[in-house]
Amino acid sequence: MAKLDRDVILAIQKQAPRVGRRQIKKEFKKEFDKLKNQMIDEFLNHPVSVELAAGPSAGNISGTLGGVSNLFAFIGFSQGDDPLIPILKVLQSTSFRQVDIIKKNRKVGINYLVDFPEPNAVFSVTPLPWATGRSWAKGIESGLSGLGYLLRKSSASSRSGVAVQSKKRVRGGKFQNVPYISSLLKKYKTKFDKLK
Amino acid sequence: MIEQFQHKFTTSLMLWFDNFLLTKGEAFTNKTGSLYYYEDPHLDSSFKAYGSPYKQWVTDSSVSDANIPDGIFVNGSLSGRGAGVKLDFENGRALLNTSSESLNVTGSFAVKDFNIYYTNETEDDLIIEKKYTVNSRLPGASQNAISPYDQVVPAIFLSNESMVNKPFALGGMEETTVRASAVILAEDSYQLDGVLSIFADSHNEAFNQIPMSGHPMNEFADLKDGSYSYTDVAGTYDSQRPFYVENVTTSKLADKARKSLANDLFVGFIDFDIQAHRRRFQ
Repeated sequence: MAKLDRDVILAIQKQAPRVGRRQIKKEFKKEFDKLKNQMIDEFLNHPVSVELAAGPSAGNISGTLGGVSNLFAFIGFSQGDDPLIPILKVLQSTSFRQVDIIKKNRKVGINYLVDFPEPNAVFSVTPLPWATGRSWAKGIESGLSGLGYLLRKSSASSRSGVAVQSKKRVRGGKFQNVPYISSLLKKYKTKFDKLK
Repeated sequence: MIEQFQHKFTTSLMLWFDNFLLTKGEAFTNKTGSLYYYEDPHLDSSFKAYGSPYKQWVTDSSVSDANIPDGIFVNGSLSGRGAGVKLDFENGRALLNTSSESLNVTGSFAVKDFNIYYTNETEDDLIIEKKYTVNSRLPGASQNAISPYDQVVPAIFLSNESMVNKPFALGGMEETTVRASAVILAEDSYQLDGVLSIFADSHNEAFNQIPMSGHPMNEFADLKDGSYSYTDVAGTYDSQRPFYVENVTTSKLADKARKSLANDLFVGFIDFDIQAHRRRFQ
């Protein structure tokens, strides 16, 4: 086989990134989007998300309240609230950008950096309705008091309608915290880091 | 059971929190006035209680300008511990070794802007269920003795919520994170905002591990050694790795929610993540 001149090899190496960039990006984006959608699906199918999405009439399918009442009322959301939207926006903001072109041992590639949200980005957009400096999403992981429920109960009119009629008393000590945002992001950060 | 890490944490947090609030916020007022006799069936018959209108006097002499009493005036003469007087800093009173119930007792002392308590009660119980006596620090408040033992507001309730260990270094070193919280019940929003601001700035603070034996009070809530300085006590326990405020979040009960409370208190929250690097069981 004829051997290429060194000049020709260098020229090809120089042009290859420009020529192949679009193809490489296309392939990377395909894998990236697949993983991103998988992450969002997993978030939406988490029992806590499912329960919150169902609103004030949902059952406690997440098991966080021992089957009594539901998270939507316990946290103190108002009827019509959609607490998952801010989190979805944060997850949707996951993106990637080209940082450099790699040339090593006659191989050429492109390095992408994934801009991935930290848990704090989620916690900062998920304020409790009754104490805006606190995050309900963090509370799901570390513990929540029943204050939202009781405050609403003690007010003259219920904001989430149905849940106030619960006959059993919901106490802060009854809340069972579960892994939620932090573990989801940790899992997918590892997956995005491995993306090639 | 011998003292464990969690016990040491509780003592250290209480003493640090008290000192931090008093020094950074100068959250106390020096008062001078009468102490009034009242009957206290919990006391030994050899003691008579003479109480001030305020609970929780400042004990910490490392707090600049705070008037820390070492005695009271009985009929105009100074009477201190040497004369058998016990100063109950927690309940804001003096216990006199006398049978007389009609002495003229006066004293000078610094009163904390906030009573500080350690609690295992939930936020719901603290904010919704419990009824409090307001022991106002504002001028013009009651001139009678405040009754002892009950928790009064303005107050800050500290509690430990959880503790998690994570491997940190070879050789068994753990990174222990304790989640602690404070519920603040204030008389007005100025008080509340002040406390929240001070502790929002406690991020990255470190404080020494103080064992239970380092706690300054005895069974009468008087000072064990006659005086107490947080700086000095913390300084004697500087050989162990300190606690470190890794993360702190402050928040307030929204006004809409606050108005549904039976009392007219301003409520705030401080959530701490406090870390220590240590070996287990130490």
